[in-house]
Amino acid sequence: MTSTSTSFRSGNRLLTTQNVLIVVVLALAIVIPVFVSDFFVSFVLTQALLLGVAAASLIFLAAYGGMISLAQTLMFGVCGFVIGNAVTEGGSKGLNLGLDPWLGVLIGIVFTVILGFVLGAISSRSTSLYFLMITLTFGVIGFFFFGQVTTFSGFGGINQIVAPPFIGEPQEFIERLYYVALGVSVFSYVLLRYVVRTPFGLALQGVRDDPVRMSALGYNVALHRTLAFTLGAFIASLSGVLFVWWNRQIDPATIGIGEVLALLIIAVIGGINRLEGAWIGAFLFVIVNNYVRDVPGLNLIGLSEARFNTIIGIIFLVIVLVSPNGLVGIGSMIGHLFRRDRGPEDPGESPELVGVASGLEEKNEQRPHGPKEETIE
Amino acid sequence: MRYLWPLAVVALVLAACSPSDDSSDTTAASGGTDTTAGGGTDTTAAPAGGTEVINLAVLSDCEGGFGGFHAQDLAGVGAAFAEFAGATITDPTDPVAGFTGASVNGIPIELVGIGCADDTADRAIEETRRLMEQLGADMMIGPLSGDESVAVANYAKDHPNQTFVNGSAGAMDTTLDVQAPNFFRYNGDGAQWNAGSGDFARNVLGWDTAAIWMDDYSFGWTSASGFIAEFCAAGGEIVTRAFPPLNNADYSSFAAQLPAPDEVDGYFWAVGGDPLGSVKAFQDTYGTLVPEQHIGNLFFEFILGEFDPSMEGAYVGGFGTAADLNLPGVEEHTAILAKHYTEFSDPGGNLAPAGAQAHSGFLVNYFVAAKALIQGLEQVGGDISDDQAGLQAALGGLTVEGPYGPVSLDDNRQAIVDSYVRQMVTDDEGNLTLATVAIVPGVDQSFGGSFTKEGGMPSREVPSCEVRDISWIGNSIPVVDGEPQG
Repeated sequence: MTSTSTSFRSGNRLLTTQNVLIVVVLALAIVIPVFVSDFFVSFVLTQALLLGVAAASLIFLAAYGGMISLAQTLMFGVCGFVIGNAVTEGGSKGLNLGLDPWLGVLIGIVFTVILGFVLGAISSRSTSLYFLMITLTFGVIGFFFFGQVTTFSGFGGINQIVAPPFIGEPQEFIERLYYVALGVSVFSYVLLRYVVRTPFGLALQGVRDDPVRMSALGYNVALHRTLAFTLGAFIASLSGVLFVWWNRQIDPATIGIGEVLALLIIAVIGGINRLEGAWIGAFLFVIVNNYVRDVPGLNLIGLSEARFNTIIGIIFLVIVLVSPNGLVGIGSMIGHLFRRDRGPEDPGESPELVGVASGLEEKNEQRPHGPKEETIE
Repeated sequence: MRYLWPLAVVALVLAACSPSDDSSDTTAASGGTDTTAGGGTDTTAAPAGGTEVINLAVLSDCEGGFGGFHAQDLAGVGAAFAEFAGATITDPTDPVAGFTGASVNGIPIELVGIGCADDTADRAIEETRRLMEQLGADMMIGPLSGDESVAVANYAKDHPNQTFVNGSAGAMDTTLDVQAPNFFRYNGDGAQWNAGSGDFARNVLGWDTAAIWMDDYSFGWTSASGFIAEFCAAGGEIVTRAFPPLNNADYSSFAAQLPAPDEVDGYFWAVGGDPLGSVKAFQDTYGTLVPEQHIGNLFFEFILGEFDPSMEGAYVGGFGTAADLNLPGVEEHTAILAKHYTEFSDPGGNLAPAGAQAHSGFLVNYFVAAKALIQGLEQVGGDISDDQAGLQAALGGLTVEGPYGPVSLDDNRQAIVDSYVRQMVTDDEGNLTLATVAIVPGVDQSFGGSFTKEGGMPSREVPSCEVRDISWIGNSIPVVDGEPQG
């Protein structure tokens, strides 16, 4: 048990500013459907939540594993396509197996996790740009696979994907899917926050910081990366489930290169170093996608609805230039301004990302002849 | 305070959660104006069945392969509403600016939004949801392309209290398979547009064998299926089917899959990703291209100006248009466009006279769709109460007079249309243009039973090559210099 995780679990440390604000945001998220329109709940909030889950899988891999994966959209889509093939009953492309929606979800998640393990194993020995290119290749292969293998989809995609009765018809029971998406978001966040504090998570961060040194210390670097990729696939698959329940349709364009980049943009504008950035980035992305075109006067400077990519690109550039750590980074910068007036910061609120490898190294240096604590072998 | 990101979330949520989101007049299309002000709408008329305003949306493609036709699509809708519903065009040089002041029976029709899709189903659904759920449209004209229309028709099924009139999409599945009771299509599908080409190849050009290459998605299959069904029904044989992926750029390997020109009588093309590239790949592979040996679907029409004049003599399946026919409706349609618009952006992004673009297939299809919707609304006096049941019943029974003749619907709410076979010829200035050589009247979607919901939609192997009875085979009307010969 590290000092960081110990301090996190101590009672007084739970009452931090961060945690209080998380509870406030969560409470707001719970009550907000009462105050806004059905469209806003369905199209903005639910979509932001499900995109946030997918982006969280990317941020998890990037921030804690040093792996910027462009295959998360593929994982998201594979789960959706598997569910579509499994649960539709005719009148649509795909296998039309007509299975129970819950069984379809189970098959979709299991298939995606297995695929994630296989692709993770293939790419685990690559790093940095090469890892990015390999995962991009996975994504492109997936796009053309579902586009051209008409047995499973074709470019027209799969329509009329049914959600379980518990969800109901999306247009009739909008809040149900929203709360499910909120629950999945909370589950994903808590799970990933928990995992990064486990011995596996700490070792993964060590692999991120210095894989050679971690390997020399006896850690199986490739296996850590593979398992992290598999976990990322699991989280992305949850997002895929939400997507097909929400959209009732999926086609190869859903996982096309544009969507791959969109997910990366979401992660970057939110803040690719922190999980929370996933949902913040997704929310901003959906808002921009949906509302910016309606801002009066934009068309006068050539930014019509057809120029959405230009608009999001400008916003992306501004955010990255102002704060390389995205919107979360802007929040931290404002926090620094406050702290200047308050004196030294509370040491208990140190981000878990800092110096993990060095921390592990220090631990092992303290026990040079003893068994290593953080290992998955 | 170290972490302020939750505050950012709160601020964003609060900033974006104005309850007025749904009711706002958000589009440049309507210009934020009161529709009752511009067109002299009689707002004192008693609402029919409680209907006070009819909210209309249009879904077109402003991005993707068909994004260049955005202005034409909107011009078709705008011209119809200006001509038949009293609308005032906002900007005669910019159809995307929309119109105001339309009404039926004194009930204002407000254009609440224009959707911007990119020829993918995913984006089409996203835009449809924005138009129908956020902007509160009661009915929509669109979408433009095949896969989009399948997705929108499925969306329509889930929203029976809204009405959808297809814009220009030609996938067969949309009406024959999905069969949404509130989705209406007044244009032919891809197979219908190519009706006559198989008959023409077999019985006029005398082909015994043909090779096909078609884009590997619903519209490519559907386009080719019309040729295949007819050609085989008349006793021809398809020797090769090649399937370039959608938006493919390198066609050399697919050209190599085709039989050489001396091994087959002719070729049918439904290649849209890069039609010119596919022609070049064919020429590079076989060293020559004899125009009379080739029939292309509407994609040939899209790049007519880019073809080398040596392509003169090649044939082009239809897009439901025949601007060279000497019919009163043709000139009347051109005049309507020229009356309401001066010039607007053509597919190349250049300003071109409205009259010169009047017979673009996309424009015509959106125009007829809008005209049908207006006629349907007139029949019910603008009353869209009772979940639009009256309007939907009226639309199903309409016969709309299009520029080239009447259009009616079958039981699946799919148009029964005339189809046209055209040939590339050079005009007085030496440029390639299209001349209609045959008219096939009354083409329905089934092709004599070649296509049924139970028999499967067009795909790589559907339809199979079978001799069967198709009523119009051998009955096409020859056309000489724009004059039907029968």
